[in-house]
Amino acid sequence: MNADPADTRYPHLDLGDLIAGAAGQPIGDRAREHLASCEHCQLEANRWNLVAGGVRGLAAAAPGTAQPARPRRTGQRVLAGPWRRAMLVAGSAAAALVLLAGVGEVTGLVHVHLSGPSTETALTAVTGCSQLEQADGTLEQVTGSSLVITTASGQPVTVTTTATTFVSMSGPLLSDITDGASVMVRGSSSGGTITAAIVTVGQPFSAVNPLGFVPVQGTVSDASTAGFTLVTSSGTRVPVTTSGGTLVVIPHASPGQLQAGATIFAVGHAGPDGTLSARGVAAITQFRSGPHLGVSVRDCSPSSVTEALGAISAAPFSGG
Amino acid sequence: MNDPHRDVGAATFTARDDPAREDAGLLRRIGQGDEDAMASFYRAHGRVVFAQVLLVTGERVLAEEIVQDAMLAVWRGAGSFRGESSVRSWVIAIARRQTRDRLRGRRLRVVDDANLADQPGSGPGPEVTALDRAELAEVTGAIRELASPHREVLGLAFGSGLSLPEVAGVLEIPVGTVKSRLTAARTALNRILNEKGQNR
Repeated sequence: MNADPADTRYPHLDLGDLIAGAAGQPIGDRAREHLASCEHCQLEANRWNLVAGGVRGLAAAAPGTAQPARPRRTGQRVLAGPWRRAMLVAGSAAAALVLLAGVGEVTGLVHVHLSGPSTETALTAVTGCSQLEQADGTLEQVTGSSLVITTASGQPVTVTTTATTFVSMSGPLLSDITDGASVMVRGSSSGGTITAAIVTVGQPFSAVNPLGFVPVQGTVSDASTAGFTLVTSSGTRVPVTTSGGTLVVIPHASPGQLQAGATIFAVGHAGPDGTLSARGVAAITQFRSGPHLGVSVRDCSPSSVTEALGAISAAPFSGG
Repeated sequence: MNDPHRDVGAATFTARDDPAREDAGLLRRIGQGDEDAMASFYRAHGRVVFAQVLLVTGERVLAEEIVQDAMLAVWRGAGSFRGESSVRSWVIAIARRQTRDRLRGRRLRVVDDANLADQPGSGPGPEVTALDRAELAEVTGAIRELASPHREVLGLAFGSGLSLPEVAGVLEIPVGTVKSRLTAARTALNRILNEKGQNR
């Protein structure tokens, strides 16, 4: 880290740390701690993250390429020029396949036959934005900022996140409703008591706004397994009851909070090696099994991704 | 504020258990003429190598031919891998040499590394503001307009899963020069974004 002439107590991250961080490689604990509290370094890190994201976007946009043919090991000349190009073009049309080229030479030409199809892609298109792809499955493992999920077909997919990735979690997470937390409660009111259907913990999250419920915002007091008291900004105290059917949504979670076994919906850009560089991740536990839901976005903007994943977070209330 | 690296994600790694060991095993089998091993090797590295070459050349057909040549070189030279670098950086270095040969052969004008401005500016200027305002899609578009050596170093650092020392090894320059070149690339990127912003 570099010493800041203006403040030697907190040496700034050096370029190597910033680049390593943006490249998804580990940085030291001291650097990490410094970054958490240094706006200057956060700004620099965000700039490098954006550059890195742009590079990955290009890589993701790169079309697949055919597996090259192999010459016999007898040293015959490798195909050149138009023949090879034609072979590659033909192969590219089947880029999703694993091409196992059986190569033989007949009158100087190479014949290629495809033994695919084999693996199916684990990423699917996102309706409304051709640049985005979706991966969904069961969360197997969280390592730092990376998630490994298993799709319904049993295929593992690595989902990577950055500081700008929207990560939400939802389910019967009543233990996350704690005294002092800012919450938005949606439910039915009777006799001055709200029976909570959805409790959003943290910053208000407009996407989780299903019809039929009146939202009431406030701070949690007297939290227990049966409910809590909602203290509104005017000081009014409203009893709120919760149950196992209450959906708790945490719209700004970190990957480290996600629990193995949750159903994951991730939207982002496909990266090399079949990874998904996520713009948004929704981890839900209210489904007993992981259904495949096609994510649909209004456009390619980050807010659209947030809205779409928010709707999934609130399922089944949102009808998602 | 959030820690932008709290989740140092976005890496370009696979879910393989032990890539180094798997790669070494594949190369050993390739050296023995195992075609299935070659297919596995291609699946593990082909797309990354292709993306890097395409980033540098900007031409798909040319990139495909270069990747084919690189993979053929792997097929023929697997036994020559000495394990002094990662297999990923080794095959990317092969592809880089193939790229340079092809671009020379086509008499394309290539910015000489020695002439590349590797020295970053002294501090953030108006271009940095442009980067702060930019959307990801704009950045992606602007990267296409960078000079080839700038695209190359960005691709190696952020798209290939290589560490900075590995990037330095592929480019055959010191790590410090890699950092300078990355900063110069970002400065150039900022400048492009700034110009685009002014023209809107």
